[in-house]
Amino acid sequence: MRAVNLIPTEQRGGQHVGAGRSGGAAYAFLALLAGIALLAVLYGKAHRDISGREAKAATLTAEAQRAQSEASALAPYTSFAALRVQREQAVETLVDSRFDWAHAFHELGRVLTAQTAVSSLTGQIAPAGPATSAAAPTPASPSPTAAAAAASSVSSATPPGSVPVFTLSGCAKSQRAVAQMLVRLRLMDGVSAVALQSSSKGAGGSGASSGGACPASFPSFTVGVTYAALPSAAAAAAATKPGAENVSSAGGKAG
Amino acid sequence: MTGRDRMVLIVVVVLVLLGAGWLLVVSPERHKANGLNSKVSGAQSQLSTAQAALASAQAAKAQYPKAYASVVTLGKAVPAEQEVPSLIYQLEQASNSRSVDFNSIVSGGGSATASSSTSGAAASAKLAGFTQMPFTFVFSGGFFSLEHLFGGLTKFTAHTTSGGLEVSGRLLTIQSVKLAPENAGPAGTVKGPQRLSGTITATAYVLPPSQGLTGGASESAPGGSPSPAAAQSPSSPTAPAIAKVTP
Repeated sequence: MRAVNLIPTEQRGGQHVGAGRSGGAAYAFLALLAGIALLAVLYGKAHRDISGREAKAATLTAEAQRAQSEASALAPYTSFAALRVQREQAVETLVDSRFDWAHAFHELGRVLTAQTAVSSLTGQIAPAGPATSAAAPTPASPSPTAAAAAASSVSSATPPGSVPVFTLSGCAKSQRAVAQMLVRLRLMDGVSAVALQSSSKGAGGSGASSGGACPASFPSFTVGVTYAALPSAAAAAAATKPGAENVSSAGGKAG
Repeated sequence: MTGRDRMVLIVVVVLVLLGAGWLLVVSPERHKANGLNSKVSGAQSQLSTAQAALASAQAAKAQYPKAYASVVTLGKAVPAEQEVPSLIYQLEQASNSRSVDFNSIVSGGGSATASSSTSGAAASAKLAGFTQMPFTFVFSGGFFSLEHLFGGLTKFTAHTTSGGLEVSGRLLTIQSVKLAPENAGPAGTVKGPQRLSGTITATAYVLPPSQGLTGGASESAPGGSPSPAAAQSPSSPTAPAIAKVTP
């Protein structure tokens, strides 16, 4: 028996119930319209973002240019402020790099006793490195800052790493007084080495060359006093100032 | 072509159309919008920088009177010209107040020691933008008077306890000191305080010729744009100042 399909030809398999006569084209068209609408919305939003951001960038740029032009108009003030800072720093560097001679002499006057008389005193800032003065003793252990400072650029007439060296000549009442003086000289602030170069009776020695010979019974001595190398300006500044930065005039107080 | 095939084809076509629309129209616009974010950020950064520069400049303007006073005051320590008369006056005043005689002033390093020491000073002055002026001073007085004088010379320009700079005179860097008795006689036999001759080798500083004291600025407004870099320019050796004082 041959099977007979009773379903009408137009309603047979492969065709959805809701497709209708258009075969689903209507739905596809609607979906296409919806998609296009969505794309249009997204495009519009992006376009609006672009416009807004361009306007914002233009506004910011204009404000920046205005601020820059105002700053440019005030450039001389900025330059002058920079000049002031630079001058202050340069002067401070020079101030901080100096050796305190007054304090050194004050200490010297404090430690010398009545048993000794200094007839000649020479103090000098030796350049960085080993002491160059023939009269000055070489420090037993050269300061590491001296070598470092010698290698680096200097910033003062007495650059960091320079070594203050004093040479004292005079008379003492006895050799024991010379020994006592050597010990007391070590007590001075900043002294790194004290070296006796000579102490002899009846020689006249260096005392004769600088103001008079010693009495025959008094030994004449020559002593070298070496100070610690001068610190860097930054280290000296850190040690001396708490941080305030201003310049004051003390007119009329000169001297 | 069956109905199902047509439907698949239609769906594919719709998807292709929408994809093409996305890729060709919407996506580039969104990409452009995102790209503008960096432009806005750059502009914002530029504005911040400009505003900071403006604030700094306005602060500099507000501080100008104080800065001008500071620069002028620093000019007492490091003047624009040699100002030897002023230096002599200051030394005379300092020595008189300490019962010390100011005997002589000679320009230039007086001794070999000083010259060896000032070879480094030349470089230093160059570095700081200042020109050095080496001098040799001779004073006479008692030991402690000379000690106080050394302190006074240092205090012409010195740090205050608060850390600021106090300037009352010329900035001097003492490089060597030599003390010796003025009157000959057996050492240790002189009774009472003995007068000493103190020879000091010191360096004063001068602004380089390329800089004025205030860089052309006046009390009311900066005249030009003094470049701080000019202060770092190498300085030329100063013509030796010649000044001798005979008490």
